Amino acid sequence: MLTLISTMRALAVRQQSGEALRCLHLTAVTEAARKGTREKARKKKVKVEVKKVGFIPHNQRDKKINVKRADKHVDDSWKQVPKDDVYVGRYYRWPVYTVAEAIQCHRETHHPTMYNVPNASLNVEIELNMQGEKATRFVDNFQRMAMIPHKFDHGEERKIIVFTKGNEEIVEAREAGATLVGGVELIKDITAGELLLSDYQFIIAHPNILPELVALRGLMKRKFPNPKSETLGVNLAEMVVKFSNGISYSATKDEYQQNFGLIKANVGTLDMDAQHLEENIRFLLQDVNSMRPKRDGRFITRVLLKSAPSSEQLKIDPFVYIPEFYDKTAAKVSREAKKEAEPEPQSKEAAAASN
Amino acid sequence: MLKNLCTTQLYLLKGANNLKQQVRTTFVLKRKYEPLLHKTNEKPRRLRAKHFIYELVEDTQVKKRPNMEVVLKTFVEGVGDKGDVVSMKPYFVYNKLLLPGLATYKTPENIVKYSKTEAEKSAVQHSSAYAQRTVNMLESIVLAVIMNKDEPWVLEPWHIKASLRKAGFHCKEECIKLPTERIEGPDLRKENKEFSCIITINKLEQATLKCRIHHWSTDPSERLPYVFEHWKLPAEPLLESSQIEAPTSNVQKPTVK
Repeated sequence: MLTLISTMRALAVRQQSGEALRCLHLTAVTEAARKGTREKARKKKVKVEVKKVGFIPHNQRDKKINVKRADKHVDDSWKQVPKDDVYVGRYYRWPVYTVAEAIQCHRETHHPTMYNVPNASLNVEIELNMQGEKATRFVDNFQRMAMIPHKFDHGEERKIIVFTKGNEEIVEAREAGATLVGGVELIKDITAGELLLSDYQFIIAHPNILPELVALRGLMKRKFPNPKSETLGVNLAEMVVKFSNGISYSATKDEYQQNFGLIKANVGTLDMDAQHLEENIRFLLQDVNSMRPKRDGRFITRVLLKSAPSSEQLKIDPFVYIPEFYDKTAAKVSREAKKEAEPEPQSKEAAAASN
Repeated sequence: MLKNLCTTQLYLLKGANNLKQQVRTTFVLKRKYEPLLHKTNEKPRRLRAKHFIYELVEDTQVKKRPNMEVVLKTFVEGVGDKGDVVSMKPYFVYNKLLLPGLATYKTPENIVKYSKTEAEKSAVQHSSAYAQRTVNMLESIVLAVIMNKDEPWVLEPWHIKASLRKAGFHCKEECIKLPTERIEGPDLRKENKEFSCIITINKLEQATLKCRIHHWSTDPSERLPYVFEHWKLPAEPLLESSQIEAPTSNVQKPTVK
């Protein structure tokens, strides 16, 4: 009896499963989609029209595609070193001059008997390897001001506004050559609209006026004094001198080659003392080197001295003035020194804020 | 004849010592599918078709060949002096040195045979391998000496040195010998007139350099009109005596504009 029931049950089960299977197979898998569905799909398909492009002159074609560009980092180390006293430059490595020699060469071509421009400006072109700490990362374009020991007429108009509270500091800054020096009354003038901040390229402030100066943060935006860009500090006279006499330069990456950066800066005139020019170049190079990324290898790859109207480019060795490679220990020391130096103004700021 | 043949064969055999290179028909391959290991004490498994698919690891035919060392029999411009052992690319060595008979294979015998004798050493003809090339290039150009149109000047060796540097030639002041007559200016009658000076390379080789005076003013409006490819045009001599020295100008390479 039991067995009969069990077989019956099994049969029933089998029957059920058979039905289920039949149901599965009967679904409209192989049948075509409904009419409306087809229409929808057809509408979804966007017709790709192939536009016929006519002839484009070569000079108007997009320059970003399919153009092989030569590497801008010139490496001539595979060339020979000249042994003769007269030689054809193109077959050999570029001669590396000392700064004094290069200046002497430029003075020759600019001599009154030749080009007759003895007071031509001496330009420095610094080529940089802009690669960051990783191969795919690059150093951003940067704009800085290098302090130089021997000033010259750079031909730019630089207006400096200085904010400070102390009377001594006002005199000090004015003597150093600031265009406008003032305290709280100056801030009031600016907020009232009587004075335009956009007339001034550089804004310098003493930490003691910082709480009041915060009101102008919206107007100043990126120009707001901060210790990182060295526009906020205690030594006002030094900062004013730096911003009025310093070399302003900007490093720009090449449009097509991201790891090639170039700085063009003027370091003086040819009639200046050669040693003074060398000092200026040294300070400029040291300032550029402070932007070096934390990686091995060179940051400054080549330094050329140029002077218009002559087209000569004379290579000098920058590594006389700066370390060639990244020195981990030196970087650590300088960072620690910075850390030690930084808390001072911060604590003063805090003190000023609490006042 | 037979004797000659024998000797050449002998030399060939000597030279063959240097040519211990494999025949370049070798391809280094790697199996794409590695066959499985077989069990110990059993026959290896049968290799399937896929086990005969290979990947190319190295084609020795396109490999860069190492430099060859040869002994120079004579002075060769741009290569070296007699008896020098030079290491150059093999095709250059074969086509430009061995076939013309300027060099032989480096063997101890050849080194001894072609080394310079005392007499040859004392009679120096060439200061360096590249001096002759410099001479040729200096003689082929017309150097533009740009002098001022407003300031008085007397031509000095350093003017030529600076002009040469602008044209891509580097030299020292001592190497330049100007004509004995003084050349003074500014004088527009001297504009584009040719004179020659002598450049001495390594205190040995001498090259006559054709120079032309051009007047230049700092003020752009005062400058003389530009003459298109002026270095290709014939020029009058500046000095009477240098007429013999200055050769007739052919088509020259451009130098400084």
